Amino acid sequence: MNLRRSAAVAGKEWRETVRNRLFLLMAFLLPPLWMVVFSYGLVLDVEHIPFAVLDRDQSSLSRDYVYRFIESRYFDYRGSVQDEREIDRMLGDTAIRMAIVIPQRFEERLSAGRAVTVQTLLDGTFPLHADTMKSYVIALNRAFSQELLAGFLARTRGVTSAETRRLVEPVTLETRYLYNEEVRSTWSMVPALIMFTLMVTSPLLTALGVVREKETGSIYNAYGSTVSKAEFLVGKLAPYFIISAINVAVLWAIAVWLFGVPFKGSATLFVTASLLFILCGTGIGLVISLLVRTQMAALIITIIMAMVPTILFSGLLVPVSSLSPGARLQAHAFPAMYYTDVARTSFLKGLDLGAMWTDMLALAGFAVALWLVAYGLFTKRPKT
Amino acid sequence: MTSGASHGPDSPVVRVAGFRKRYKKHVAVDGIDLTVNKGEIYGLIGPDGAGKSSLMKAVAGVLTYDEGVVEVFGITVDSEQAAERIKSRIGFLPQGLGLNLYPELSVEENIDFFADLHAVPRDMLDRRKAGLLALTKLDRFRDRPMKHLSGGMKQKLGLICTLIHEPELAVLDEPTTGVDPVSRRDFWSILSELVQEKGMTALVSTAYMDEAERFHHLSFLSNGKVLASGAPAKVRAAVPGFVATFEVASQREAITRLKQSFRQVDSFGPSVRVFIDGDDQVEARRRVAAAVGDLACSVISVSEPELEDVFASLLLQRAGRREPPGPVQAGAAAYDCGEAAIEAEALTRDFGSFRAVDHVTFQVKQGEIFGLLGANGAGKTTVIKMLTGILPPTAGTGLVAGADMQTAARSIKERIGYMSQAFSLYLDLTVEENIRLFAGIYGLDRRATTERLRWIVAMAGLSGYESSVTGRLPMGVRQRLALGCALVHGPRVLFLDEPTAGVDPLGRRRFWDLLAMLAREQGVAILITTHYMSEAEHCDRLALMHAGRIVAEGSPADLQRQVRREAGSLFEVVVDQPGRALTRLQGAGFLVTALYGTKLHFFCRDRDQDKACARRVLEESGVNVLSVNERPLSLEDVFVYRIMELERVERPFGQTVGA
Repeated sequence: MNLRRSAAVAGKEWRETVRNRLFLLMAFLLPPLWMVVFSYGLVLDVEHIPFAVLDRDQSSLSRDYVYRFIESRYFDYRGSVQDEREIDRMLGDTAIRMAIVIPQRFEERLSAGRAVTVQTLLDGTFPLHADTMKSYVIALNRAFSQELLAGFLARTRGVTSAETRRLVEPVTLETRYLYNEEVRSTWSMVPALIMFTLMVTSPLLTALGVVREKETGSIYNAYGSTVSKAEFLVGKLAPYFIISAINVAVLWAIAVWLFGVPFKGSATLFVTASLLFILCGTGIGLVISLLVRTQMAALIITIIMAMVPTILFSGLLVPVSSLSPGARLQAHAFPAMYYTDVARTSFLKGLDLGAMWTDMLALAGFAVALWLVAYGLFTKRPKT
Repeated sequence: MTSGASHGPDSPVVRVAGFRKRYKKHVAVDGIDLTVNKGEIYGLIGPDGAGKSSLMKAVAGVLTYDEGVVEVFGITVDSEQAAERIKSRIGFLPQGLGLNLYPELSVEENIDFFADLHAVPRDMLDRRKAGLLALTKLDRFRDRPMKHLSGGMKQKLGLICTLIHEPELAVLDEPTTGVDPVSRRDFWSILSELVQEKGMTALVSTAYMDEAERFHHLSFLSNGKVLASGAPAKVRAAVPGFVATFEVASQREAITRLKQSFRQVDSFGPSVRVFIDGDDQVEARRRVAAAVGDLACSVISVSEPELEDVFASLLLQRAGRREPPGPVQAGAAAYDCGEAAIEAEALTRDFGSFRAVDHVTFQVKQGEIFGLLGANGAGKTTVIKMLTGILPPTAGTGLVAGADMQTAARSIKERIGYMSQAFSLYLDLTVEENIRLFAGIYGLDRRATTERLRWIVAMAGLSGYESSVTGRLPMGVRQRLALGCALVHGPRVLFLDEPTAGVDPLGRRRFWDLLAMLAREQGVAILITTHYMSEAEHCDRLALMHAGRIVAEGSPADLQRQVRREAGSLFEVVVDQPGRALTRLQGAGFLVTALYGTKLHFFCRDRDQDKACARRVLEESGVNVLSVNERPLSLEDVFVYRIMELERVERPFGQTVGA
């Protein structure tokens, strides 16, 4: 190894990347942008559901009922309407996703101890959302009914409200969420998005950087000189490794400061895992670049290679443990899953190396394997 | 250094025997033998796809091969390990002007990178860098990013980068393609100087036949085989013959008659050029006169053939007696000869702060072939794009067929044909499908399409190829198909943008023959761009473009006459110390245009007096003069002279070439 040669290659690569506007943007703007866009896009919490009310009763009780929805953080009140046709129109325009229709004589019948039916119209376009909305409505409705019942019992039997609650619901459920106390999907999503962002940008930059030289023919400078394969690869990829490392820091900062995700784990562990992971990323980019001839092909293959397994099998959207056995096997064949695990654990759980050493080992194994494959594929005397 | 014990000082630097290279099923090189000796500039000449690049890459150790032996410095290059052993002693410049350089890096950063890659010690680097930058006159541009260099400067920087580690063997793949003639001449002077000074050996490829004279030894490659090999004079002697040139009123008729007895008949503007086998000049003249018969013609002048004639005749021999059918006589169309088909008036185009085309004015009449000559980046393509309405001009007007192309209706655009550098054919379609597609694009009805299809196939000599997939056709055939497609709607004006790049000499001549037929018989006005100077002689009139401007205009003969009147005749002197001779001649006030090997070209105003004067000047300074001879003035000489004149006017203290 002659480090002067590696340094020359690295220096040239760095200058080329920072002086070329397209590469510069791809190196430093694409990763944060990708992360922010996907963070906002992939939030799965159902909140602020717009809704409207058709109150045919206009009594104090009916207003009380509606207020429970208006005050909930899950619903957004978009006003009252006078006509059922207006509801149809608003639902049709997606101006609202839910509507409540309170029948006439709502208060009168309830006071008389008779049952009433409140109609709820839900937009079923997204079944997952509709289900969630339905459960919110049921919960609010039940709370209202229970309070009515408690009031009734207190009035008629002279029981205290605590007593009533015990009578009505003998078993109460106490739920405590661990790690992600508020069950915010951003908290779980953002650490995984660090992985997703690195998985796309780091191979992409590397592959384009190498194929660019193949496309113009400047790769022949390396082929035709005495620079060794190892010297060239180290020098060529060092800048991309450094750029990705800088991006890890930037993405971490975005996660903590922009999205407010707590970081509970060990910084050393997270940094080590991240560096191993970007070694894998540059390795993947390098292998792709050695197999294709044009930047266009490199772009397409890298995006597919980085996106498909990452979205499906990394635990980004669906936990690996709930995948089918076949899919779980596939998940283990890509480095993304291990890093997702480390990233989520580091942010949310704060466990130590004992809980993550298998992930770390797997990442190191992938990095070594990818680089060995790349070294084997790279030849200074190719067939074409 | 493990240079191989058996490798003595007189052993060949490169020895190639039985070399074969295949890409999948395609055989690129099919058995080549050659030997490059120390201190030589060895040339590989041939069209695109002849196998030059494959051979050079294999010699440089950056490409595997299938059969044969490649020995460099006595080391057999048959594995990656073996190849590594020769690389410190080789400098390889891959094909493509400046493509192996880094556009974002400055001139100096590029050089430093190559030096580091070859681990050149710092102090040595500084010394060599200073020397090479001075020699190539790039020292003023040290800090300029490579992407802002002109083509010629990129080429020189490429050469510096390739030679910064002072290799014993330089392998240069088409270093001069697409570069302006002045830069090309500079390049050759620099290379021959370095070869002499450092005892370097060079293996150089080129697609320009007229560069053959620059080599000590050359091989002419075609379709992966060597057609001829040896010193230029020896190769020329292998095919004895003469070239007869004369003017004749009815050119087409004369050509038809001559083709009965001769295989190489071309139209050069208004004149006819014939190659005659044999070594008897008188006999040659007699045969031509007999073939022309009763047609009134000027005096037939007979001269030595160019190397290109030799190659063409070798190619013809190889092709056998199977003569490709000539263009059909499509019947003369009625046209008004004097009518202006294209009028460019002070056309100007800026890209940002860069002026690509600067007040270009010219006229092309119906039935005329007008050539726009210049290097890559001179602005030729931009002119064509403005005239065809693809690009709006910044200033000036362009009239085509009487209409302003910028505002012209579609109907006018349908009266022009355009053939681009890339041929713009659909390679997955067959020949017939391509023609039908273009017919469809121009909205021809079924009957017209069938009629034009038949005409194009006959005109371009495509019969037998109708159902071949275009991508598998040889370049020459593809080129004629592209021409056919550009003519599908019977345009009156034809724009051709570098249509002959990469086609072999025979294909090029055939193509020019077609163009001459179109112009003379159909009255089509043709505007063609090219960077092959030797081709330009086919045109009726020419404009030389340099840095966006037209620097000279006229018929080829006029242009040559003008230069002869201004600068005198061109002489070639062969000496033993070319470097010293150059300085002496320039000091004595001679205009030296080129230096290559041991030869210098210079202008003499007075044939006898100046010639004697030059000889005296040289001999007084101790230079041994081996011979002084007059040389015919080529269009390249004209171009170089014009540009040097221009530079002298604009930069009074500018240096001359090769200093």
